[in-house]
Amino acid sequence: MYRRLGWIALAAVVGIALFVGTRPPEAPPTSTERADALAERIRCPTCRGQSVADSDAPASEFIREEIARQVEQGQSDQEIEDYLVSRYGDDVLLVPPRSGLASLVWVLPVVALVGAGAGLVVVFRRWGRAWVET
Amino acid sequence: MVALAPDEAEIPRRRRGRLALWSSVAVGVVVVALIALLATRDPSGTRLANSPLLGKFAPDVSGQSIIVSPDGSSVPTFELGDQEGRWVIVNFFATWCVPCQEEQDDLVTLVADHAEADDLRVVSIVFSDTAANVERYFAERGGDWPVIDDPDGQMITDWGVTAVPESYIVDPNGYVRAKITGGVTSQRIEQLLVDLGGAS
Amino acid sequence: MNAVLGSAGIALGFAASVLGVITLVVGIRRQRPQLLAAGRSFSTLILGGAVLATLAMERALVTHDFSLVFVADNGSRATPLLYAVASLWSALEGSIILWVLVLAGYIVAVRYRFRRQADDPLVSWALIVLFAASAFFFGLMLGPANPFETVAGAVPTDGPGPNPLLQNHPLMAIHPPFLYLGYVGFTVPYAFAVAALITGRVGEGWLSVTRRWTLLAWGALTVGIVLGAWWSYEVLGWGGFWAWDPVENSSFLPWLTGTAYLHSVMVQERRGMLRVWNLSLLIATYSLTILGTFLTRSGVLDSVHAFSESDIGPWLLAYFAVVVLVGVGLIGWRGDRLRAPGRIDSPLSREGAFLANNVLFAAFAFVVLLGTVFPLLIEAVRADRISVGTPYFNRMVGPIGLALLFMMAVAPALPWRRASGEVLAKRLFWPAWAGAGALVVAVLSGATGLGPLLAFGLGGFAVGSAVRQLVLAARASRRAGGSRWRGVTGRANGGMIVHIGVVIVAVAFVSATSYQTSRQVRLEEGESARVGGHTITYLGIERTETAQKAVTKARVQIDGGQVFTPAVSEFPNATQTIGTPSVDWGLRHDVYLTLQAVPTEEGGAAVIGVIVEPLVSWLWIGGLLMAVGTALSAWPGGRRRPTDPSTMWSASAGPEPEPATASSPDDPVAVG
Repeated sequence: MYRRLGWIALAAVVGIALFVGTRPPEAPPTSTERADALAERIRCPTCRGQSVADSDAPASEFIREEIARQVEQGQSDQEIEDYLVSRYGDDVLLVPPRSGLASLVWVLPVVALVGAGAGLVVVFRRWGRAWVET
Repeated sequence: MVALAPDEAEIPRRRRGRLALWSSVAVGVVVVALIALLATRDPSGTRLANSPLLGKFAPDVSGQSIIVSPDGSSVPTFELGDQEGRWVIVNFFATWCVPCQEEQDDLVTLVADHAEADDLRVVSIVFSDTAANVERYFAERGGDWPVIDDPDGQMITDWGVTAVPESYIVDPNGYVRAKITGGVTSQRIEQLLVDLGGAS
Repeated sequence: MNAVLGSAGIALGFAASVLGVITLVVGIRRQRPQLLAAGRSFSTLILGGAVLATLAMERALVTHDFSLVFVADNGSRATPLLYAVASLWSALEGSIILWVLVLAGYIVAVRYRFRRQADDPLVSWALIVLFAASAFFFGLMLGPANPFETVAGAVPTDGPGPNPLLQNHPLMAIHPPFLYLGYVGFTVPYAFAVAALITGRVGEGWLSVTRRWTLLAWGALTVGIVLGAWWSYEVLGWGGFWAWDPVENSSFLPWLTGTAYLHSVMVQERRGMLRVWNLSLLIATYSLTILGTFLTRSGVLDSVHAFSESDIGPWLLAYFAVVVLVGVGLIGWRGDRLRAPGRIDSPLSREGAFLANNVLFAAFAFVVLLGTVFPLLIEAVRADRISVGTPYFNRMVGPIGLALLFMMAVAPALPWRRASGEVLAKRLFWPAWAGAGALVVAVLSGATGLGPLLAFGLGGFAVGSAVRQLVLAARASRRAGGSRWRGVTGRANGGMIVHIGVVIVAVAFVSATSYQTSRQVRLEEGESARVGGHTITYLGIERTETAQKAVTKARVQIDGGQVFTPAVSEFPNATQTIGTPSVDWGLRHDVYLTLQAVPTEEGGAAVIGVIVEPLVSWLWIGGLLMAVGTALSAWPGGRRRPTDPSTMWSASAGPEPEPATASSPDDPVAVG
């Protein structure tokens, strides 16, 4: 009995903590925050693996400045990304596209995981039946 | 030591399905495909990024030149839009970059060779460097074409420049026709001009 | 002199490997014990060859013998001794010498460990595989990657030294050897897996042996990866430690499959199931180390850590093909006959949890592998290129990581065979409150975002669960008259310590990447700026020049206290300048300083990069704890001491063993 109450209390604590911790921020993101978030998703053209935000290469600094400039000018994130793609190519985006052939990189793992999960369920069902029969 | 029979002899030979067989065939096929793919890849170093600008109308290049030759013959301002009818080599460089230093002679030759026909211009854009360095560099190494500073990187990002030296060939109609990563030689440029149909 | 000695060592190692393979194969076929004994003794010669080659190269590096191309390219008179020694693994050819040295060491260790079962065909087959591997790597040095090539023409008087990034931090001297101990160490379980498939003896005997070798390699790889991350953090100057870079990924892949194996092998030991799956995991693990070696050394993918391009790519790829196809072929050929009967009674059981764990680790590895090679796939199909970067990996791996944290919390409390909800509710009560506590603490200290908060909460849950196990084990051990020390040794308890280490690493990773504050401030001398709650004061510049490098240090004071000196070094033989960050280390957060721009005139303003990263130093503490836990779990526990393997084999040769569910001191679940 006490234990059940304990679990209910636990659920309440977790629920409240998550609610408090995941409230959306009150203010919309500032220009700097937007520019920083965009820079995280742009590849440093001279150093593989790092984003423009993390890199000190001159090309990265120029791209960061360009992003900041365009954010100030009121361009949308999509417009800025499109601009960079039109100058540097598709691979300047660190996030692979969600459409076309490249979207497979998003889809395949999900398919594999769901497939494996389904396989496990089937196997356990079969084992479960065998258990009952014997 | 006890003589051991392999495990398999002990396992009853009831039908077990062919899961391992089919899975390994599938894995084998995928791995062979992956190997074929990896085996046919060139090393990344030789795969030059194609600029998405190729075939497109050239982004703007304009500004005040920071090089003024003593005799005052160099053009103080440059406007890519004014160069219609001429080929233009848009060269991004820095004084601290070794291949840039090496290509400077070739650019000087190129400009001299085309001075008479006036069918080609070179414009250099400074990539992350100071005006003082650039002035000293041109004084030492020659060259009196327009050199435009780009401290905030507007032209550098417009052209999608990743590192120096990088050069672009703009045709007489103002379209980007070629991108050269790394140092250029005057021969290479002449050859490219011929290939692009701009025999001089 | 050095060239002659070294080449002789390589030739010796190669010849001994090849002859060893031949002798052992003939010995097995004809069943001649003398031939087997002779074949085994080649292992000593292999080690001799490897040691000779290593000593010759180290001697050449330390004494600056620039008549060798390798030394002329990677050595210099100005390089300090530590880095001169470490230059061995700073470039491709030398790194293969280190590889064969480690491999030869493992071979001799295997031979010594199994000296009493030496005539067993399984051990002989394993040695054949190991010899073949060493023949390949020695062969590489005879052909495309000869480290002892001599300079044609005049001998240079000095060389450029190793890449400046590689002579900037002592971690560079120890990170690669650990990585190699891990990488190469997986050859041993692979060899035993292949031998088990060839001889058809996939029972429980071989794996109690393999488990410990795998554990050793896995522990070394863990340390290697953590040290690599630490090196990135200390040297690269962007405040990061993990970039999902192809090279990092390829060291992480075998770690993932190795981790899956270390869990699922317990199902085989207890229940005799998943035999073929476990073999497949071992084969996958070794194959992935070779794939990683190929990716780092062929120049197919760019990376910060990549070796320069070389001709050994096709060779490594061919070796990868052989390694995979031998393994997969053997499984296809024999797998179905060797599969163990038996079933798992309930998904709500320890073995069910291990199964889920394996699915998650396999998915994890799949995501990392797919993300790494996907740009190549796309490029092969279409003309254009795409990038798959950090945002992708974080998005995909995040949910899997959370699920693994959850499993880590629940699984240790699950009994074997089947559990009732009631038992589970009882056992998980306090661990769950630990999780809730961690969550509340995180929220109170200002953490936001669903993903990070779940990570902290589930992390606390998992730590609670692990601590519960350790307490129960210590109590049980004391009741049984043992020392409390027993509570942390042995596989199950050592594993719990590793779990705590993993949670610490996960929490540190999430917090350092989610909540870092990064700013660049331009400061005049004496001026201050506030970043992330700290006052940063720029005091001035210090310049020092040595033959080896010219260093410009900025003196930066944090909160009016200690002075730190982020620096920029110029190496005479390199065009690039290398930044050296300076870190104010702290348990709550690090303040990471870099010198972004040196003042242009005397006494001018400098640009200082400041990154405040919460909890980042716990990454290294967690890594250390994982290493300690690994060592403890390799410590002989109270139960299942791998005695004479041959008796184990005969025990498992009978009908399916049904290990009793009886409790033992090492199995606190059944006790508590």
